[in-house]
Amino acid sequence: MFDLLIQGFAAVLSLKIFLLMTAGVAVGIVFGAVPGLTAVMAIALCLPMTYGLGPAAGISLLIALFVGATSGGLISAILLKIPGTPSSIATTFDGAPMMEKGEGAKALGAGIVFSFLGTIASIAALAFIAPSLAKVALSFGPHEYFAIAVFSLTLIATLSSGSMAKGVFAGVLGFAVSTVGIAPVDATARFTFGNVELNAGFSILTVLVGMFAVAEVIKVAESARHPVDGGAAPQPVKIKGFGFSMAEFLGQIPNAFRSALIGIGIGILPGIGAGTSNIIAYIAAKKRSKTPEEFGKGTLEGVVASETANNAGIGGAMIPLLTLGIPGDAVTAIMLGGLMIHGIQPGPMLFITQAPLVYTIFAALIVSAVLMLVLEFWGLRIFIKLLAIPKHILLPVILVLCAVGAFGLASRIFDIWTILGFGVLGYAFVKAGIPTAPFIIGFILGPMAETSFRRGLQLSRGDYTGFLTNPISGTFLALAVVSIAWQLWGEYRASRGPVTANPLKLGGEE
Amino acid sequence: MRLKDVIVGAVMAGAGIAYLRMAAVLPERDGVDAGTVPTILAWMMIGLGLIELVSALRRPPATQAETRAATSGLVTVGLTLLLIAGFIAALRPLGFPIATAIYLFLQFLVLTPKSASRSVPLYAGLAAVSSVIIFATFRYAFDLLLPAGPLVAWLN
Repeated sequence: MFDLLIQGFAAVLSLKIFLLMTAGVAVGIVFGAVPGLTAVMAIALCLPMTYGLGPAAGISLLIALFVGATSGGLISAILLKIPGTPSSIATTFDGAPMMEKGEGAKALGAGIVFSFLGTIASIAALAFIAPSLAKVALSFGPHEYFAIAVFSLTLIATLSSGSMAKGVFAGVLGFAVSTVGIAPVDATARFTFGNVELNAGFSILTVLVGMFAVAEVIKVAESARHPVDGGAAPQPVKIKGFGFSMAEFLGQIPNAFRSALIGIGIGILPGIGAGTSNIIAYIAAKKRSKTPEEFGKGTLEGVVASETANNAGIGGAMIPLLTLGIPGDAVTAIMLGGLMIHGIQPGPMLFITQAPLVYTIFAALIVSAVLMLVLEFWGLRIFIKLLAIPKHILLPVILVLCAVGAFGLASRIFDIWTILGFGVLGYAFVKAGIPTAPFIIGFILGPMAETSFRRGLQLSRGDYTGFLTNPISGTFLALAVVSIAWQLWGEYRASRGPVTANPLKLGGEE
Repeated sequence: MRLKDVIVGAVMAGAGIAYLRMAAVLPERDGVDAGTVPTILAWMMIGLGLIELVSALRRPPATQAETRAATSGLVTVGLTLLLIAGFIAALRPLGFPIATAIYLFLQFLVLTPKSASRSVPLYAGLAAVSSVIIFATFRYAFDLLLPAGPLVAWLN
């Protein structure tokens, strides 16, 4: 294992990959920090640039973007009181009051350091859990994969929206869109309307860029003429050392440890990622605190809990992605797309056939975490200046980059029309209150679910009960039913009594 | 009855019906074939659309403020969509550098907040410089053959 990890570091620390990762972390931090720009958008935009790079360089760049964007949200959360990404929502609760009290440097310093520690803790969990889980997953057949896909889809669909019907519909529609092209097993052409460009189905990149980046541009256009969240201008902050004392650091260790466990645990579950874990860790920290009355008024504990938990979700989310090929949220979905573009099929076999690449991913995560720590301390002034770029300048340029990315897939204008089509669909989802994440997961898991379903039936000679009698598959299908029943019960209770906030709902969207 | 949600429910069910009709014309084989999963998905879409429709009928109607918020800014959205469609359509005939510069310039103008001043020379300069930088980066650094249009003799 350590030999492979050293090989991974050797690959990642080559000059070319190191420079790429430095740029990736910096761009990621900017995307995380600027409200409206997301980690998904950053990765989707840079994905086409990785075509010409090797798998190690390409994946390292995507990981650097992921780590940078997850952490970058804390900058605007503390300086502007606007969370740059949903993963930093709870950071605003205490980060912004600390800024008002003149403790902005302490809040930023603690946020950066504990983001780093959260990432490192989750990488350790990934390195120890993933290989063991991959060994177990090696015995999985089509029945198990079908059930896991259904369970993941139900969990994402039920947890990510206010309305279960809309959440499940989004997942089903994503699945339906994935059926365009040549069918698995019997190779029948479906829904192509004689268009050869659709024989291979829609590219994952065009769907992701359209649904997230183009839809975001259209959404911003809606409020661009009359902006409501102008936000305060960021104030300059000088950090001396880390901004906090050693005693304060040591006092936060139990809080950070608990928050990291929450972040890793929630990160592993499909559908509820860093957008939720930061809030749950914040609530847990408040309940465990000796001074719960200080929460919301500017306490270091709140910032530490939120930032440790959201970054701890990075390694957690990579566990099902690498071992089962199942993305937990939109960010890991696009990471999966990135791996597939480079000819890498995540799953248990990855740990056997491409073990050096797996450890290169682990090394890239560690190096990205270190780069994030260094860049956020030294480059804070630059990132603060970038927050001031007006959206009406930034977003059209981003749209052009999306078009270039789509064109780069196969040098076809058709793919640019496709991203526009999915952009309009994504905007329609926003207007209709339908969550986007289940659509993406449905699109990605759809082919896996259909292929496994048909192969499973072939194995059990057309007997549907095979999916229920197989212990693992039966368990996951039962869990899928429980997840739907739980959501139905929640909706029933909500319709009977006063509406109570469900923190899990907050993290559905990327 | 909340009209917006009723429309959403009806569209959801309608999408399911359209998908079911398309799935019905797929070639049939014994047992599970290429149409089986799409048919199941279509029925699920129809069912979910009907559930949404029924619950929308029970919800209280939207307030005037909610309706106004939902429809504000649609002109800018329409203009943006037209500009993007025009940009894509112009990519082959005008080439990437020219089409991009025109698109960016017009899009900057459309998206500028009413409270901010519109600096036409600045926008024109920004549009031209962004277009050239993006084209040069992808064409010469990443070897991506973006359409050059009438400038093909000079750029390739």
